[in-house]
Amino acid sequence: MTMTHFFQLDGLSMLFVGLIVLGTIPNAIYSRGYLPHIKRTGHYRIHYITFVLSMLGVVVAGNALSFLFFWELMSLTSWQLILTEASDDPDQVLPAARFYFFMTHFGFVFLLLFFLIVSHGDFEMSFAQMHGVAGAFPYATLLFFFLLLGFLSKAGAVPLHVWLPYAHPAAPSPVSALMSGVMLKVAIYGMFRFLFDVLYPWPLEWGILVLVVGALSALIGVLYALSEHDIKALLANHSIENIGIILIGFGMGMIFDSLKLPTLSSFAFIAALFHTFNHMSFKSLLFMGAGSVLHETHTKNIESYGGLLKSMPVTALTFLLASISISALPPTNGFLSEWMIFQSMLGSSHIDTMSLKLAIPFAIFALALTGGLAIACFVKAFGITFLGLHRSTNARHAREVNGWMRTGMVLMAGVVIGLMLLAPWFIAQFDAALVGLGHPGIYADIFPDTVFTLHSVAVHGGAVSPQILLAVLLGVTGFLYYGYRALHVKERLHRTWACGYRTGARTQYSATGFAGPIRRFFDWLYRPEEHVDTSEEPDPERQQILRRYSMHVRPLFEASLYTRTARIANGISYWVYRLAHFEQTRYAAMIFNLMLTVLFSYRIFAHTFSWATLILESVVLLISIKILIIGEKG
Amino acid sequence: MILYLLTLTLLVFIAPLLLGLIKALKMRILFKRPVSIWQGYRDTAKLMHKETLLSEEASGITRVGPFLVLAPLLVALLFLPPAAEHAYYINVVDAFTLTGLLSLSTFFLMLIGLDSGSSFGGIGASREAFIAALVEPAMVLTIFSVSMMAGDLGIAQAGLNLAHHFPAHHMASFLFAGISFFILLLAENGRIPVDNPETHLELTMVHEAMILDLSGIYLAIIETAASIKFVIFASLFVSLFLPFGLQFAPPLALAIFVGKLLLVAVAVALVEVNTAKLRLFKVPNLLGVAIVFAFLSLITYYVLGA
Repeated sequence: MTMTHFFQLDGLSMLFVGLIVLGTIPNAIYSRGYLPHIKRTGHYRIHYITFVLSMLGVVVAGNALSFLFFWELMSLTSWQLILTEASDDPDQVLPAARFYFFMTHFGFVFLLLFFLIVSHGDFEMSFAQMHGVAGAFPYATLLFFFLLLGFLSKAGAVPLHVWLPYAHPAAPSPVSALMSGVMLKVAIYGMFRFLFDVLYPWPLEWGILVLVVGALSALIGVLYALSEHDIKALLANHSIENIGIILIGFGMGMIFDSLKLPTLSSFAFIAALFHTFNHMSFKSLLFMGAGSVLHETHTKNIESYGGLLKSMPVTALTFLLASISISALPPTNGFLSEWMIFQSMLGSSHIDTMSLKLAIPFAIFALALTGGLAIACFVKAFGITFLGLHRSTNARHAREVNGWMRTGMVLMAGVVIGLMLLAPWFIAQFDAALVGLGHPGIYADIFPDTVFTLHSVAVHGGAVSPQILLAVLLGVTGFLYYGYRALHVKERLHRTWACGYRTGARTQYSATGFAGPIRRFFDWLYRPEEHVDTSEEPDPERQQILRRYSMHVRPLFEASLYTRTARIANGISYWVYRLAHFEQTRYAAMIFNLMLTVLFSYRIFAHTFSWATLILESVVLLISIKILIIGEKG
Repeated sequence: MILYLLTLTLLVFIAPLLLGLIKALKMRILFKRPVSIWQGYRDTAKLMHKETLLSEEASGITRVGPFLVLAPLLVALLFLPPAAEHAYYINVVDAFTLTGLLSLSTFFLMLIGLDSGSSFGGIGASREAFIAALVEPAMVLTIFSVSMMAGDLGIAQAGLNLAHHFPAHHMASFLFAGISFFILLLAENGRIPVDNPETHLELTMVHEAMILDLSGIYLAIIETAASIKFVIFASLFVSLFLPFGLQFAPPLALAIFVGKLLLVAVAVALVEVNTAKLRLFKVPNLLGVAIVFAFLSLITYYVLGA
């Protein structure tokens, strides 16, 4: 056995090694502070380290064998990590872990099929050699679908996204951060690696498909995030949204490449890579922040938080930074990559095909709506969690988390800021990785004059400068603030006025209420189940009637696609069971019918075909099936 | 450069006047005795002298929030298209960044609304989030279409380019984009079909509800931010959709520019008098109209080239 291609380390691999390292170091420090919260620390440590190593293994794997080995190791260790706290809340954790296990292996089957075909069963073949085999394979689109199903079930794109809102809340928070921030990106790495190395060149339709999947994921992710009141499920839904945004960039890159617009294509791919990094940074930070809040309040329900900014300032401020970044507000890194994706879509005016040219604005519409809804969602997530009054006793007793966890969060905030300020350097790395994959380098086009202004490569595209914007924004804010200070205005504290009503924790706006208008507008999608529980107030003096309103949204895809598939599978297995338990006379009848079917179909399809005999023979068959097999009872 | 700074100061100082003008004009049309058009300045001056009353429940967000609401808008002012040809302008910022800056300001405004723990703030923030989310796609599509016509995404350069070949090119798509942008101007600034800036009735208010618990200078800052936001939109509308008169000598060009701003204010006042405020859940229909016009504009541009 030769180990020639077991590992390879090219530009793209290096890039994702960098991503994993950036995502893991703050996470490991945070984990150190989170450990006392975990009962099975040995189990946790072993799987955590193996998980990180296996992710590194996936991105440096050089052949199918090592890739699949590390991929599976990554799946299994993350599955075990979800199960870390299984004993605390078995009703939630066990089904979530089972679901994740199923979904990840569903994807694995397709990856395996893909590799079996493109390597002729020789798993030690290098990726470059696979390109030849795949090129000779007549049904390239089949390979593309295998790849999509395999990687997108891990990345969490619609309609394979359903496991995310279950698995992420069930896992311990550092693991959620690592899974959402880093592991989903390993799937994106897979997309890059095998679409470029094995399946290149791509037909136009593939890119369109990726674009459509991306746009749908982005919208559906953010819409379900809005209706969610479990903070970690909310963030998990946002991962779906952001994977969608990455796929929009990726799809645009594929479309431009198929249309022989290499510069625009590189720009779109750089945007997708940049958003991959950005999502790693802010989503890890958000999950850490959510973990800290959960650590202190012992609940995931956003309706029981409130007013945590005062007791947990570090958590709150880092969470605010990540919220601004994920909402794509300037001048943060999230804004920069989303800006690049928008710019690459504006490049669609260079496309000659009119129908495609008219279709891209719909994707722009989807992305813009996603951006708007993301802002709403993070105002909700930050505002309800950290602002206002404490909504529960748990929130009142919350204190700032320990030093390790704070360090982890601050470091990750540093990564967010680094991605913003050092954007030119990162873009140079993405550019170099794409050059390694055979795309033209466009660094000089993006930064034509200085490293401070990021230019779009679409003709007469816009420009943006994160550093200047940040400096000006901070300058103006500082100027205003110190101007105000210099005035020495008298300040007085008083309880909230609110038109003279008494404000209390109960009268505040809740997360459900905040998302109310949007939920009502998208009622056709959400189809919420509303419950109102009415009970007498136990306090005899006040004699109030207490009404508790709760609302639950059933995810559409889960309700339709998954539940129905399960129901059909159940039905089929029931009939198979019935078949297997027939008495012997029935078996004989079945064999008779089978012979009839074979004979008839031979006559019809291979001999002479006429509609009359087809109908006649099918009627005969149906009658004999009804009489002999199903019998009277049916 | 001097002209640039002059335009900037002019825009900042004219902002309350525009809102005052709208108010006065509306009252005159309704046969009420109008308030002075200088009322905005008087209010600000009065608020500057008052003490600041802060909510006990509020956190640091309320203390720094107002500055963060105003700052992005002031920054956005720096990058607007010039009022005259050959005037200095900064073209490092494009239309997306500009809308991003406006969203950043709204983001902090919504947080202020949630900060005091009052249910009014929550109402306002929730409604603002709803409207802002639906404004975003219309805004981006309109920008896309205008930038196609202008041949440049840099907002300042786009204004100049449009001025050069106004009104010869792409009249149809230009008009559609203009309609869409005007609706967005009304929606983003909380003017009447979307929000009523003069009401204090909780069923209808959006912007006012968010700032109910602010007072003194903080309130003055937020009100200034609102007027500056209006001036940004008005001046964008003027530079992108009424781009004439830039070629004259700077004083005259500036006068024409101000005249056009006043014209926009009058148009807004007339719309306000003649329409009823929409129910919150009818607002998406109005924004849907804006989205449709933006799409139409793009399609006419692509297909007909008109």
